Amino acid sequence: MTRLFARVGGGVLWISEVVGELTLFTWAFFTAMLKPRIDGREMWRNLHRVGVRSLPIVMVTALFAGGIAAVQVSTYVLKFRAYEVVGWGFGFVVFREMGPLLVGLMFSGRVGAHNTAELGTMKVTEQIDALRILAIDPLHYLVLPRVISMVVMMTLLNVIGNVCALGGGMLTAYVMVGVDPYVFWNSFTEYVLLSDFLNGMVKAAAFGLAIGLYSCAFGMTVRGGAAGVGRAVNASVVAAATGIFVFDYIITAVLQ
Amino acid sequence: MAEPLTVREIIADVFQQGRDTLRVGRETVYYIFNGRRDRAAVWEQLAQLGNRSLIFILVTQGFLGAIMLLQAGFQATRILGDASLIGAQAIPLLVRQLGPTLTAMMIATRAGTGIAAEIGSMVVTEQVDALRMCNAPPVDHLIKPRLLASLVMVPVLTIVGTAAAFFAGMAVAAIVFQTNPSTYANFDVLVGLDVVEGLLKSVAFGIAIPLVAGTAGLSAYGGSEGVGEATTRAVVASSLAVIVLDFLIGSGVFLFR
Repeated sequence: MTRLFARVGGGVLWISEVVGELTLFTWAFFTAMLKPRIDGREMWRNLHRVGVRSLPIVMVTALFAGGIAAVQVSTYVLKFRAYEVVGWGFGFVVFREMGPLLVGLMFSGRVGAHNTAELGTMKVTEQIDALRILAIDPLHYLVLPRVISMVVMMTLLNVIGNVCALGGGMLTAYVMVGVDPYVFWNSFTEYVLLSDFLNGMVKAAAFGLAIGLYSCAFGMTVRGGAAGVGRAVNASVVAAATGIFVFDYIITAVLQ
Repeated sequence: MAEPLTVREIIADVFQQGRDTLRVGRETVYYIFNGRRDRAAVWEQLAQLGNRSLIFILVTQGFLGAIMLLQAGFQATRILGDASLIGAQAIPLLVRQLGPTLTAMMIATRAGTGIAAEIGSMVVTEQVDALRMCNAPPVDHLIKPRLLASLVMVPVLTIVGTAAAFFAGMAVAAIVFQTNPSTYANFDVLVGLDVVEGLLKSVAFGIAIPLVAGTAGLSAYGGSEGVGEATTRAVVASSLAVIVLDFLIGSGVFLFR
């Protein structure tokens, strides 16, 4: 019985510690953003690394996500033979929900995990302390460019992802269900609103912020050598995934 | 391994990883029938995989169910002016598609990184070579218990996660859309094929995740950075495997429908 209490208490303490650390980190990030001193070269390097290198995986993910969405939407439509709403249902589901969600989870695995591993390795090999000795604030030099480039690139990748998903969905709807691409496109352009698209974009930006902040926070607070880096990567992807779902819920509820 | 950059390099990389995974899979199947019988190792992996992912799955799938019901409910009230049927329409989608896929993606995130990091650090510290020297095949000792455990645990966690999403959806339907829980829990539209599709997917994901993540771990090299790289590869590749399998099985069942 005492062991049960100890475990529950330990878990609660651990969660509070993590949440507290993340909150403080977020606070530090936003206060630093008021007066940013960003190294231009580091910024470009990160934009390239985060954006260009994630492009293939995002495109492939979106292509298949589009196919999955088209099949699922068609399952509903098939009962009523209402082929002219496939495009609408598809666009709604993908633009608002599946696109940002799947691209975000992929982005978190690809970029977030890599980022935590990199910062964590720098931390345990005392490179971050070395930066401090050189009077370079690691928050401005390392964290700001990373978080900013993740927000920017996640938003842009979501646009490309939406386009790829649309292609994948149209193709799947044509091959599997026999929905004419022209009919699909018409119903898509007719009923899918700009607000659906923008809703997804807001989500993508929020997911980028969550992934950036959490992956940097866990990387900068690594303790305990190489094993600590592994633990931090695991904790960071878990936190990012939870953050994605929580943000998704909040944005859905607020923007309707 | 250098980061693949050109299209040709990426395709070559994907094929290489796919071939390695298939090879490991073949070896695993061989050792399942001919290898040693180690119940303790399987039990340990069952505990690792199941217990450590449970709360994470409950939280994320709960939010998933809530998000889904919000989206569906807003549309239903806008178009039909009545949200009482959302439960009946949402439950099949949850059972055959969103529940299995997102649970598996979360397991790929939570357990896939764990598998790759553990095996990867064993590789770079030469413990895997030591196993080989003792005539103990690494696939038999490391991959097989994980595969058997995940074959059991991924479907179990899928059921738990889908249930969590169902109840979170019920709460949202009751609080936001004033739908009676008994009206929400309408299983009329759900057919047996939906359940079969969901379980089929979860079994396929249960096979794919440990194989892909384990292969990524076994191909790690070069110190702690190599372990980090293997971990990243494991998450990306196993999530992608989940999405591709989802597409294939979903399309197959759709044609069967």
